[in-house]
Amino acid sequence: MIKKPRMVQISEIVQESKDVKTFTFNINSILNNYSIQYQDPTPGEFLMVWVPGIDEIPMSLSGFNNNKDWSITVKKVGECTETLFNLEKSDLIGIRGPFGNGFQILEFNSNNQLNIVVGGGIGMAPLIPLISELIKLKIKIIVIEGVKSKEEIIFKKYLENYLIENETFYISTDDGSYGYKGFATDLFNSIIKKEIEKGNKINQVNSCGPEQMMYELFHICEKLNITFQGSLERMMRCGFGMCGLCVLDPSGIRVCREGPVLDSKILRTCTDFGKYNRDFSGKKNTI
Amino acid sequence: MSEFFKKIAEKPFILASGILGVSYSSMKRIFEGGAGAVVTKSIGPILREGYKNPSIIEILPGTFINSVGLANPGIDNFISEIKELKRNNITTIVSVFGDSIETYTQVAVKAQDAGADAIELNISCPHAEISIICQNKQLTYDYVAAVKKELKIPLIVKLSPNVTDIGEIALSAEKAGADAITAINTVNAMVIDIETQRPILSHGSGGLSGKAIHPIAVKKVFNLYKIVRIPIFGCGGVFTGEDAIEFFLAGASAVQIGSALYQDYNAITTIINIAKKYLEVHNYKSFSDIVGNAHGFETQEVPDF
Repeated sequence: MIKKPRMVQISEIVQESKDVKTFTFNINSILNNYSIQYQDPTPGEFLMVWVPGIDEIPMSLSGFNNNKDWSITVKKVGECTETLFNLEKSDLIGIRGPFGNGFQILEFNSNNQLNIVVGGGIGMAPLIPLISELIKLKIKIIVIEGVKSKEEIIFKKYLENYLIENETFYISTDDGSYGYKGFATDLFNSIIKKEIEKGNKINQVNSCGPEQMMYELFHICEKLNITFQGSLERMMRCGFGMCGLCVLDPSGIRVCREGPVLDSKILRTCTDFGKYNRDFSGKKNTI
Repeated sequence: MSEFFKKIAEKPFILASGILGVSYSSMKRIFEGGAGAVVTKSIGPILREGYKNPSIIEILPGTFINSVGLANPGIDNFISEIKELKRNNITTIVSVFGDSIETYTQVAVKAQDAGADAIELNISCPHAEISIICQNKQLTYDYVAAVKKELKIPLIVKLSPNVTDIGEIALSAEKAGADAITAINTVNAMVIDIETQRPILSHGSGGLSGKAIHPIAVKKVFNLYKIVRIPIFGCGGVFTGEDAIEFFLAGASAVQIGSALYQDYNAITTIINIAKKYLEVHNYKSFSDIVGNAHGFETQEVPDF
């Protein structure tokens, strides 16, 4: 784990949509220069990304490979992400991590079991390495990507290449400009029911995106007795369990340490889930 | 002995301010892990965002630098957390700061009214404007005396190591009516990124906490034990039972634990259990039996030539 922020050079930039870009960098130089012990990241783990002079923010890894090329996928939403967004190849960013606990892929034991992966907008980012992992393990998957409108669709080509059968990749748009018209949660609801009718068993549902969306997905899964895992987002200073900004009431679960990916068992104990978060001052606000 | 100090004497391990002290639920976990009390994050008169990130990083194993900048939701927004702590029967010390004698007093009184068991006066945050108080014995006296006058609950004063003579500041606090001293706050420090050649923390400098400052804190407690009569809470880099015992031997009546908790909420339980084991093995009944035991040895004052 990289504990102190270390600078890396951006080696590749891919524009995913008007407001979203993926930045790739190789971490071998950090590992070698500072003798840092390396461990493969788990899908869902995150980095603290430092843009000198601006800010440092938590960002999930959207990719990593054996070559130790890591990537983050950034959506322009504030000062820091906007500065990041405008960086060019060879520019430097600081990184530390990876932190937290990622997705735990449940063991499956029959052929008609499948995982359903649901991403809302930029929430698709940490799901990309998870999808790769599920494919590697030969677990059947259905991917649902929900966005507001057609221009916001990301990773479409990548997913279509990966997911051989077309019907395993669905897109929903709130305005109906592409694919299913409506929310990802409604699409999910109809798909999961169809799969159950077909006699397929849902191994688990993995998700990242707006918390309201995950909250609804979680409740659908609860009714159907299906394990849910969602990656939560909270304000963080340290990223490793010290500052207390990301604590969930009333259990004291830390999103940065015990999360960011939390499963049904833990989410059931968190009354904050889907309802409250804290701002940078520590004040609790309604989501 | 007041009710509060009786509780501390029974369980002389306290959550230090600034660590997992924003929400009642994290403090509850630590209290249930065996702490005798918890100190909240420092609370001021109004909401304050503090410094931007990077504001907390681990720079050596178990050693951290931070410049949070007294970020807090403001006392009015924090009252619900104090009430929730008290609803759960948690002995609560509210860490308080302000920008004048009036606001310090106002926040302390509001915390008291909300149910706080004690107040810890933060006059020593090394990277905020208030550190000026703890560097001056007269200012320390004025602030402590003014707040003390309005309180029915005990007042603890947290001191900084970033002064020429911590003893004179402690004496000033004691004279002004402080019921206990916490020593020490973080140590002034800086870390520079050599690639960009700039300080890493957004504020530039910050306060060092964790393992590296433990011996510094032990020495300060050792000095203070000779000077003040009020109880001293030792604070700085307690990661093991051994670290805690050292504080008691140096003269602390209780020990605060902070940075160590980042690993795991249970870290506090492990520290307490190992410290208790020490008492058992060495045939002591309670921690009070070993307070100050490192004093009274003849040390070599003049080097051999």
